[in-house]
Amino acid sequence: MSDFNLTRRSVLSGAALLLASTALPTIGLAQEPQKGGRLTVAADSEPRNLNPAIVASNGVFFISSKIVEPLAEADYDGKDGLSPRLAVSWEGSEDGKSVTFKLREGVTWHDGKPFSSADVAFSALQIWKPLQNLGRVVFKDLEAVETPDEHTAVFKFARPTPFQLIRNALPALTSVVPRHIYENGKIEENPANTAPIGTGPFKFAEHKAGQYYRLEKNTAYWGKNEPNLDEIVYQVLPDRSAAANALEAEEIQLAAFSAVPLADLDRISKVPGLKVVTKGYEGLTYQLVVEINHRRKELADVKVRQAIAHAIDKDFVVKTIFLGYAETASGPVPKNDKQFYTADVPAYTFDVAKANALLDEAGYKAGADGKRFKLKLLPAPYFNETKQFGDYLRQALAAIGIDAELVNNDSAAHIKAVYTDHAFDLAVGPPVFRGDPAISTTILAQSGIPDGVPFSNQGGYKSADIDGIIAKAAETLDATARTDLYKAFQKKVVEDLPFINVADWTFISVASDKVGNIADNPRWAVSNWSDTWLAK
Amino acid sequence: MRRLTRVPEALVGFGILSALAVMALAASMLFPGDPLAIKGAPLLPPFQDWSLPLGTDRLGRDVLAELFHGARTSLAVGIAAAAAAIAVGAVIGTLAGFAGGIVDEVLMRITDAFQTVPSFLLALAFVSVVGPSLTVVVIAIALSAWTGPARVARAEVLSIRERDFVAGARVIGMHPLEIALREVLPNAVPPVLALSSVIVASAILIEAALSFLGLGDPNRITWGGMIAEGRTVLRSAPFLSIVPGVALVLTVLGVYLAGEGVVEGTAVRKGLS
Amino acid sequence: MSRAFLLLRRRLVGSIFVLLIVVVGTFLLLEAAPGDAVDAYLVSTGGDAGIVEAMRQSWGLDQSAATRLANYLWALLHFDLGQSVAFSRPIRDVILERLPVTLVLMGASTAVSFGLGSALGIYAGARPGSFRDRFLSTASLALYAVPGFWLALVLVIIFAVDLRWFPISGFETIASGKTGLARAGDIAHHLVLPVTSLGVIYLALYLRMMRAGMAEVWRLDFVRAARARGLSRRRIVLAHVARNALLPLVTMLGLQSAQMLGGSVVIESIFSVPGLGRLAQEAVALRDTPLLLGIILVSAVLVILINLLVDITYAFLDPRVGASEASA
Repeated sequence: MSDFNLTRRSVLSGAALLLASTALPTIGLAQEPQKGGRLTVAADSEPRNLNPAIVASNGVFFISSKIVEPLAEADYDGKDGLSPRLAVSWEGSEDGKSVTFKLREGVTWHDGKPFSSADVAFSALQIWKPLQNLGRVVFKDLEAVETPDEHTAVFKFARPTPFQLIRNALPALTSVVPRHIYENGKIEENPANTAPIGTGPFKFAEHKAGQYYRLEKNTAYWGKNEPNLDEIVYQVLPDRSAAANALEAEEIQLAAFSAVPLADLDRISKVPGLKVVTKGYEGLTYQLVVEINHRRKELADVKVRQAIAHAIDKDFVVKTIFLGYAETASGPVPKNDKQFYTADVPAYTFDVAKANALLDEAGYKAGADGKRFKLKLLPAPYFNETKQFGDYLRQALAAIGIDAELVNNDSAAHIKAVYTDHAFDLAVGPPVFRGDPAISTTILAQSGIPDGVPFSNQGGYKSADIDGIIAKAAETLDATARTDLYKAFQKKVVEDLPFINVADWTFISVASDKVGNIADNPRWAVSNWSDTWLAK
Repeated sequence: MRRLTRVPEALVGFGILSALAVMALAASMLFPGDPLAIKGAPLLPPFQDWSLPLGTDRLGRDVLAELFHGARTSLAVGIAAAAAAIAVGAVIGTLAGFAGGIVDEVLMRITDAFQTVPSFLLALAFVSVVGPSLTVVVIAIALSAWTGPARVARAEVLSIRERDFVAGARVIGMHPLEIALREVLPNAVPPVLALSSVIVASAILIEAALSFLGLGDPNRITWGGMIAEGRTVLRSAPFLSIVPGVALVLTVLGVYLAGEGVVEGTAVRKGLS
Repeated sequence: MSRAFLLLRRRLVGSIFVLLIVVVGTFLLLEAAPGDAVDAYLVSTGGDAGIVEAMRQSWGLDQSAATRLANYLWALLHFDLGQSVAFSRPIRDVILERLPVTLVLMGASTAVSFGLGSALGIYAGARPGSFRDRFLSTASLALYAVPGFWLALVLVIIFAVDLRWFPISGFETIASGKTGLARAGDIAHHLVLPVTSLGVIYLALYLRMMRAGMAEVWRLDFVRAARARGLSRRRIVLAHVARNALLPLVTMLGLQSAQMLGGSVVIESIFSVPGLGRLAQEAVALRDTPLLLGIILVSAVLVILINLLVDITYAFLDPRVGASEASA
């Protein structure tokens, strides 16, 4: 699944809303949820650390979100796109320096101890802020968490922090872990990191390395009559064709995160008893991006970058590589985000003649062999689609006289080559849009980021304008003004092309018809599955 | 040639290999330009459009052109890896056998070490570390294949070095290294060459397995790479992996049969004389 | 007896040198790799400069390569394989978890390829040059030419997805609570397809060695003598020819043991069998140098032990036994 850390998008796309409202009644009317049963799910990796408070990533959430819960979860219909979990309400102050959470009462940890505001304060100050991969950005100005009573936590920020950002970060960044388990010893080495203890509907039961994870029903769960399932088993299936085969043979009932390759979906959708579900990932949008090394003199010329943008047939990419399970991208914010997205950006239509003309204009005339210059292209190896797009891009560049040599690295080597050594000219990467551009999108264009930070601007790009917008937005509290700044950011980025956005995609699930209540929130695969059920 | 016709399997083997050689040589003439270029609609089944007789793959590349160019790279990988392995193995084996003593001991322990590590694992680790390109794949395969030739060469040398012509060379005062390389090595080589068909065949298979794991050279088309590409659509478009798969099996079989034919043929001739 | 002891001691001393070369070589190879364990980890999480630095420090990757190698060798002297970087667990535990699986898988597929291969080889070699001889040896060669992963994928689709005779993947039924014979049966059921995929490939090797060996033995004097004495063909084939032709196969068994772990990498991941081959591949991908070293060391020790065993077996099957009996 190539686990990337993600957050939900806060506002849904129209299509998703429509699907939600039409799909839910059919399931609800057809059958009543049944109790019991074991749901077996395909998993393709075994994260070394299952603590979602430390590692806010997709691969970790997939398993641990059933055990450890956040303050709030993404929701199709809820206010601000959220539904309460461990917090029942949240409110930001006018000055942007404090946020008050009212916490759920009557919640206990899996070991029987009561959950309280002290756990939230501990998680926020000792884990999210200093240790968590994403929390270090969002909670960097968190100064203190006051706990006036057992069920109230007040976050105090040293500098004004936009409440919109905190809200957007709740589902992914605020997993709460028990203080009494973590307060002694080094947090990173706590045994609960591999056998997590939480408040969720399922308890961690066992992990057989290389084989499976097993979770058991939490009979003392705070949700009324939940969970429905007795057990969830994650069967480790490292091979790419295994999930589809196992579904067909009815050995598993669910393959999430596109474990069934896109190219196989058409066939598998026709297998009786299986359904292909495209919903439930709206909050996890991945972006197909061409990363550019601006240290290369040819690529430092905006005309060359524009020529490359014109040479890419985005419709072909969506239709052939993603087989329609994606959308063309116009800029750094995906189209399905209604909060920040703007269409008011320059468009680069697929036009080889224009691309050639731009390159001629830039002074890179084709030689006798039809080639203008050579460059190194590094497609990220984590997804089949990024590799395939690399193959396509090489051909698209050949059409405009750029001779690209593909470099096929494994994941570790790719991270090192692109983000530390800068040993690339072009790279294909899949950054994630995490519901708010401040979380992980602006760093793709921002300058001054130290070497070695993955998924950030390591191409040596620097624009005073763009840096200015980013800095201003970080301290703008008014949601509308902040949104407008990010719209300006999108326009600037698409004009100047520090990187090129090609397409945006989310994942696909394939499930047995027997599985009920799937994909009922925009982060479903990484939510708690308390209402999911299995027909006998 | 007459001695080969006595072994029908060898004839089949040589037939396959000649066809392959023709494919490899004709690839650039029949299918000029980059075989990885996108030529039509993706996933076109075979025998539908006669300009693309074997159809197209997931990106719309011409499968027939890929097959022809793939013959070239697959053969090149096999032959280059075998040549490298045999060259290195023969030199090391000759040195070990000829020098004897501590040199022999050290060289043979190194050979042992390479033989102790599973060869595919070694190739896998090497390619992951250095980054896959055709040259690296060839080196990786040779790295785990040179030990066999080294052992055979050493054994040969041990039996040759006591013979008259070597003693003669010593008497006329040739430098030991010169004797090793000019007198002993050429005589030790033929039995080592007998290993070549096995090495070529396993090299082609290892390259395929590496490509299957995503460790192929993306700039070149190989049959292993084609199978790896086709496997995601194995159920819906099986021809994409069957076509290169069959080509691969035939090639490996051809190499074996031809290799054995030569060995058997030589044995028959020896028997007759 | 003392000669055997001396030989054994020489072997052991030699083995230690071999192991040292393997360890240092593997270490240097992974040291040359672009990206370390932290880079591999960041693929799934991301993280800023502060996190990256703290991780390198806590995983001991900020030390120089020489220091780490020295530390590793020092620990090894105390039979300590160290701590896995990627799994943050003692390597001994990680390997011990997988070793039985690998041994069962390897043992079963070797038994299949050796047993079936030599049996078919005897059948083919009983009448050298006959149609069945040619057919069997060419057909087995064709199987040998099939890439293992390709065979595995096809077997899964036919026997697991379509016919549902065997499970698609795994080593045993998940949390089945089975014990004893029931569990052994369950494991055997799961291993049919992976063992077939692995075993079938090497079948050709033993088959062809057997028949080639038999072809040689047929020409030897003692066999002629046995024929002259009017022994039945069946008896000659089994008691004299096959028995003598078996020897090189036993040697091959030893040589092949080193390769098994490599061949199983792909098969283990296709069938999700939690063995050492797959673990080794993960160790490379995750840049877990100590883990890969541990796996290679364990497999090297295994290989050395197997070869020792082969030598003992060889002594039992001494060729002179059959020959002296025949010429007597």
